[in-house]
Formats: sequence, C-alpha cells, structure tokens
Amino acid sequence: MGVLVWLVALAALTYFGQSTTAIVPIAVGIALISVWGSYYGSDKLVLTMTGAKLIQESDNPKLFGLIQEITIASGLPMPKVAIVIDSAPNAFATGRNQDHALIAFTTGILDVMDRDQLQGVIAHELAHVANRDTLVSAVAATTAGAIAILSDMLMRMMWFGGGRDRDRNNNGNPILLVFSLLILILAPIAAVLLKSAISRKRESLADATAVAFTRNPAGLRSALEVLAADSTVVHQKSNSIAHIWIESPLDGKAVSKMFSTHPPIAERIAVLKAMESLN
Amino acid sequence: MEIIIVLGVIALVVLFFVAQYNRLIRLNVSVDEAWAQIEVQLKRRADLIPNLVETVKGYAKHEQSTFDAVVTARAKATTATTLADTAAADGMLTQALRGLLAVAEAYPDLKASANFISLQEELATTENKVAFSRQFYNDNVRELNTAVKTVPTNFFAGIAKVNEREFYEVEDPQDRKAPNVKF
Repeated sequence: MGVLVWLVALAALTYFGQSTTAIVPIAVGIALISVWGSYYGSDKLVLTMTGAKLIQESDNPKLFGLIQEITIASGLPMPKVAIVIDSAPNAFATGRNQDHALIAFTTGILDVMDRDQLQGVIAHELAHVANRDTLVSAVAATTAGAIAILSDMLMRMMWFGGGRDRDRNNNGNPILLVFSLLILILAPIAAVLLKSAISRKRESLADATAVAFTRNPAGLRSALEVLAADSTVVHQKSNSIAHIWIESPLDGKAVSKMFSTHPPIAERIAVLKAMESLN
Repeated sequence: MEIIIVLGVIALVVLFFVAQYNRLIRLNVSVDEAWAQIEVQLKRRADLIPNLVETVKGYAKHEQSTFDAVVTARAKATTATTLADTAAADGMLTQALRGLLAVAEAYPDLKASANFISLQEELATTENKVAFSRQFYNDNVRELNTAVKTVPTNFFAGIAKVNEREFYEVEDPQDRKAPNVKF
C-alpha cells in the first residue's frame, strides 16, 4: 500500500510539473511518512480498519487463559486482545513491537475451533509478534518503494541527462516518455511481487515458530484444515491489510500464486504434518 | 594514519568482548526470570489444592490415603528450595493430583457439582501453565548452556561468572508432554 502512495505521488508530481529529480525527496518524504506512520500506529489503525473491539479477561476467560499459556511458553508480554464480529473464521496480529501488540479473532474462529486448534492459531499470531513481522512488512514496503523510485530516477537521468536545461520541455521525446511510463508501471508490480514473496516466507516462519511455542504441530495443522474446508471469507477484505490475516481473504481463485501473501494452505498443512511425524 | 587503524581495530575487539560478556549475562538473567515464572505457576497450583481437596472430601469421605498423598506432596512442594527438590516435589504433586482426580471419577455427585467443575478447569489451565513454564525455562537453559560451551562465548564464561545451569526435569515420564486437558 505504501508503494502505491509512492507511485501516485511520483506520477502526479512528474506529469503535472517539471520532471526534475527534485521531486524525489518529496515523494520519498510522503511515502516514508505514510509507511512508518501506519507502522507506528498499526495497532490502533488496524482496530479502526477492521472494526475490531478490544476485550478484557472477564469477557472471555478461556481465550485469555489460552493466550496466557502461550505468553508463558514464549516469554512475550500479554498482548491486547480484540474480537471482530464476523462468522468467517480468521485471526490476525499487528503492533509495532511486542509491548504494543494486538491480536484479534473473529467470532467465527472462536466458535468453530477446539482448544488445541485455537491455541495453534493463537501461537501463530503471537509468532508474528515475536518475529516482528509488522516491522518486516514496513521495511519491505519501504525497500520496495525505494527500488521503484530509484529505478525511475535512473531512467530519468539516463534519458534527460544530468543537467537541467530550462528551455527543455519534458515532452522532448515521446518514445522516452512512454518508456519511462512503462518503467513507472512495471516497477510497482515488481515491488508487490517482492512484498508478496517476503510475506509468504514470514507466514511459513510463523507456522514454525508457533510449533516451537506449543510443541504441538497437530493443533495448528488441524486448525488450518478447518480453515481450508471453510469457504467463507471475512467481510473486511481491504487490500492493504489482507496480509495480516491467518487465512488470506484475497487469495481466491484469480490471484496468481506469485501475488499471494500466504503460501497455499495445502502446503502449510503438509509441512506441519511432516513435523508431527518427527515426534 | 596507522594509529587510527590500530585504535579502530582495538575498539572493535573491545566491542566484541563486551558483546560476548553481555550476551552471557543476559542469557543468565533470562534463565533466572524463567525460573521465577516456574515458581509463580507452581505456587498458583499449590494454592488451588486445599480448596480442591476439601471439595472432594465433601463427597468422598473415605479416600483418606489419596488426600494424604496430595497434602504431603503439596507440603513438600511448598518447602522445596533447590531446583532438584522442586522438580522432584513437582513430579510427586502432579502424580498425587492425578490420583485425586481419578478418585473423583467414581463419585457422580462430585463430578456434577459446579464447584468441582470450575476447580477442575482452573487446575487444568494451571497444569498447562506449569508445563509451559517448565518448557520456557528449559529453552532458556539450553540457550545459556550452548553459549557457555561453544567457542567464542566460552572464553568469557569465567570472567562473567556464568555457569551452566541445570535443566528442569520432572521425574514422571508422563509429564514430559504438555498436558492436553480438554474442557
């Protein structure tokens, strides 16, 4: 999402003004503020975007008990807990660091999972907190955006030359303009591919870390099987936070494997099954 | 010019030494913290027991030997100080509690009583927390012992006065798995 902001800012400034390299710091500034601003306030921002409501221990002592067990096993502090009213089973974790972490569950997942499965899901979410995945995504977004901007800058320097010639109109050469436009379009695609690949790796890591916490791969594995069988999708399908849910709300039929933010669920189940047989 | 390079190298070496020393200290403190966590959970379990025993006694008056086993084990657990004693008492108490719950199975009135059901749930969560705190402690000890024994950090273990720590091993082999009590 941060990447889109970069590129809109960059495109707007380019085509409505002079295409000098001076716009780069402005674009960088806008993008940095947007990416790191949303990282810093990620817990509150995500609460608003998903309509999640914070709950206290007295609202659901069993859930809190399960979460406390994992915080003991992992050494993490107790995160804030929220509920999203939605019959589709899903869960997410966010927060800028482990002291400001937030994990949330839909009413659907609380209804459909048994104790071990729910604890597997909780362990997966806390694994995201332990592995600082919100920070990793923010860095990935920044890096991807930086690559996009850098490539654009290089294109400009190549075709428009180092010096600024005041007489020169930025409509000098239409072919070069088209080229630069192409780069501008392709660079964010590359950036999104990069971010998706990183996201998939972190999801696999979270699955493994969850098992390190619970020492019970069967719990998470059977939870994923339940999620795989259930075809309902959460209502809150915003693109920008799709990656934080345990089961991606977007990876339906049309999304190509390379753009998906999660490894295919069958693969995740197979990996966990392999861990079970190690016991 | 050369003096700057030499000073730079010395600075890096010093930083390296400090980092290794600090790492050992930090790992040692984590182990202490994990130990404290075990004690907290064990104490919570010990506190639940008198209530549980009284509730069961109310329905199953003639199982004195079971009650005695639990009470003795609890007394041992609360007075243990060294790690070995605590682990041994922990194992004994877990086994005694299992015996008590097994006895309770034979008394349908007891099993149906709301008081007993809520105590049983609390005990189940507490047992799980004890198991996870043992796991966390052992994870930390493993990291510390590995650091103390492997090459770069082992040279600093003496200066840091950090030694290998004992693993928390509970006697009863059934206890090696995290209890999977379903509500």
